[in-house]
Amino acid sequence: MTSIPLMTSQELASYFRESLCIFDLKAATKRDALVEMVEAVCSEREIKDRGLILEMLLNRESLGSTAIGKGVAFPHGRTLSVRDLSIVYARSVSGIDFDSVDKKPTHVFFLIIAPPQDRDNLYLQVLGRVVDLIKDDASREQVAGASSFAELKTIIEGKGL
Amino acid sequence: MIKEAEDGSHSAKMQEMGFPQDGLSELKKAREELTVHVKPQLLNRYQRVSQNYERTVVPVVNELCTGCFAKVPTSFRYEKNAVMTCESCGRILYFT
Repeated sequence: MTSIPLMTSQELASYFRESLCIFDLKAATKRDALVEMVEAVCSEREIKDRGLILEMLLNRESLGSTAIGKGVAFPHGRTLSVRDLSIVYARSVSGIDFDSVDKKPTHVFFLIIAPPQDRDNLYLQVLGRVVDLIKDDASREQVAGASSFAELKTIIEGKGL
Repeated sequence: MIKEAEDGSHSAKMQEMGFPQDGLSELKKAREELTVHVKPQLLNRYQRVSQNYERTVVPVVNELCTGCFAKVPTSFRYEKNAVMTCESCGRILYFT
């Protein structure tokens, strides 16, 4: 297996943007949740190919749900439509049926999209670090309870490495 | 996405993170459906190039093909409605 260099918490936090944090996701379905998150990233990055990104994410979901349980999902994938890696943080208070492996509603989403080629396989590094971030119950609850970008960033920067 | 799913080490890494990878046939089916909308000539070109390289479609950065780093003519950027390929390696190019 290729070894992936470790990324510090500060480096990880630097990929989050206030404009890409949705603290009150309005969607009620899996597709609508993806649409809402894709809309956010396309507006922020001035991307026109919303449909292509959505289609890629839906195809990725067909490989296996990215909702890995405990109320968290990581929709992710690579697309020609973006120049740089983007992360959207979103939270749904009521929860969404995202075909989670534990069959429970999903409340917290980290949407990660990256170009097909990226420096040092950044995409996998970021995905791995975000998954690590929510592995323990305390961290996950903190992330799920964040009510502002500053709070979220402080939580991410404070976790390990 | 399919190449990554078929790559043993990548797939193992994703499963280690907790992401199931059992829908490969669904993904392939989706690709089959998409290929219907691609011109046969372009599809053939894509399939031919993809046999030789890990990435078939690559971005042009600083007027260089990021697959083989050969210079790409500036005029390529202004070609409208045409699929451009690298004159050196044949990869399909896109401009960011």
